[in-house]
Amino acid sequence: MSRVVVMDLRRHNTVLVGHHRYFVFEPDGRPLLVRDWCPHRGGPLSLSRQTPDGRRLVCPWHGTKVGTAAVKRTSVPMVRSGDEAVVMLPDVDADTPITVIHKRILANLPPEAEQAKTVPCPPAAAGVHE
Amino acid sequence: MTIQHVSVPVGAVTETLSERALTFARNPLFGGDRHVLHGPNPYRRMLAPETLPEIDFARALTARDWATYRSLGAHRLLGTFYEAETVLLPEQGLTELRGDFDEFYGTGLRHLREATISDLERFAFGCLADEVDVSGNCTVDVLDAYFQHVTDESEQGESPALNAIAAARRPEVAADTYLVQLALDGLTEASAMSRNLAGAYGPEQSALFKIFIDEFGYGVHDTKHTTIFAKMLRSRAMATHVHAYWNFYLSGPLATNNFYYYLSRDHAKFFRYAGAVTYAEAVFAPAFVKMIKVYREIFGDDVDLHYCDEHAHIDEHHGRITREQVLLALAEKHGPGVVPELMRGIAEARLVGGWFEEDTAAQIRWADDIPRHRELAAATRTGEPRSVRASVDGPFGTRSHDGAVVLALDAGEADLVTSATGEPERLVRGDAVLIPAGRVYGIKAVSPECRYLLHPVVDEPTT
Repeated sequence: MSRVVVMDLRRHNTVLVGHHRYFVFEPDGRPLLVRDWCPHRGGPLSLSRQTPDGRRLVCPWHGTKVGTAAVKRTSVPMVRSGDEAVVMLPDVDADTPITVIHKRILANLPPEAEQAKTVPCPPAAAGVHE
Repeated sequence: MTIQHVSVPVGAVTETLSERALTFARNPLFGGDRHVLHGPNPYRRMLAPETLPEIDFARALTARDWATYRSLGAHRLLGTFYEAETVLLPEQGLTELRGDFDEFYGTGLRHLREATISDLERFAFGCLADEVDVSGNCTVDVLDAYFQHVTDESEQGESPALNAIAAARRPEVAADTYLVQLALDGLTEASAMSRNLAGAYGPEQSALFKIFIDEFGYGVHDTKHTTIFAKMLRSRAMATHVHAYWNFYLSGPLATNNFYYYLSRDHAKFFRYAGAVTYAEAVFAPAFVKMIKVYREIFGDDVDLHYCDEHAHIDEHHGRITREQVLLALAEKHGPGVVPELMRGIAEARLVGGWFEEDTAAQIRWADDIPRHRELAAATRTGEPRSVRASVDGPFGTRSHDGAVVLALDAGEADLVTSATGEPERLVRGDAVLIPAGRVYGIKAVSPECRYLLHPVVDEPTT
């Protein structure tokens, strides 16, 4: 049977389950509770930033790029109703400690603007067609 | 009753949802009459066509709008649409009402309903898609864990509406207000469920049918749930015909009742319906146990609670049957693809059921404390008023407002009606009452000249 945890999404965005950590990830504006663990060396994906195209997260440890689709697939079962989320944690022992907290999440911030690598066309030339 | 019929020509569907809604509501069946309660005519119900234009149907309801007038007006319409797809016949026979029957079920209104209902459903229930999410790998085990969690929570939790009754100064009136909200479904019980009985879907269909035949008293009319619900009303000297209390249905209970029709009208939503009905059946039994306790404390043996006893008993079985033989059986058989839909149905039923409770509790508290709201009116900052005329012979209707208003009688005398069975509050010129957002009231003129002002509240004092 799953363990059930209730989160108030206005106050909580992280769940600690024994040694595992999950964070609220909102790639499409809808919250998912995903594993806070980079598949490379276990870095904190909650502190990653999105690539400019928004399709990947860049792990702060080694710069590993992890597809958001892969991160979404780690989401644990959750039912959100308004600001309340009921999380079901399958296969978690009854004596495993569970804590719900609030942390800073960088992965939900808008993508960092890519630094300009080329000089933009001057406005006068922008509309010129050969 | 004089019947004036206006047929809506086939194909005369106007363009916007607002226009179609107004065309429907302007049918003479829905203009109301001067009586506070509706007579024994299931085809006539007040849709307040004169205030319906206030509702912007282009802007869908959000989950926070459940107690607005926009919600009340829309759900009155939607409930009427749904009930026109059920068979309603008056107890006294159809002889005097044949014209109304023909109009209610006739081609004109049917075409208008068919052209409008999907848009109106999107307006009223589209917010559920934003308000509820189901994510992650949802297995049968996860489904059951969620179900057990929310039903345990309901059983152990409080009922805001029953608490409001217990705390009321006039608990009898408050208890009647709760019965009025239950009557919305209680006198037509299981009509929405009936729409999911047809078809072929195996043992789960048979399980649902077992519940249905319990609701219908195994074909014995005296044991049908609607019959024993009427018995409970009768013991409180209340009217037992369908929608006598139409003017007093609140938007939360209307939305709750419509929700089950909404899910069962469209079989693409079948798994959501299965989740919702399983949740409902599981929480009914403990809810009726609580209701029996409150009603016995108020009325002693002077109320017939056979209906509540029946539900407190049979819904123990229904809760078990729906969980084991419908919810989990559908999930096992049809796989993980349907589990999120089953869970969504549970979550939505829980959400909408909360609207029922909160709305009923708020109405009970307000209607029970009008003297205090007279005082609050004097301490409230208000904006520019608008004037409304009422006439003794004019149709009686109830309404609410999206925001709080101060109602001030400007000329004549009138009764402020806030409950179906309580004494109305007499207002004379100069009297004012604070009407909080979402609270349902009606004004019944008692002098030939009667006019009142509605002041929008700028700064509402703490109530």
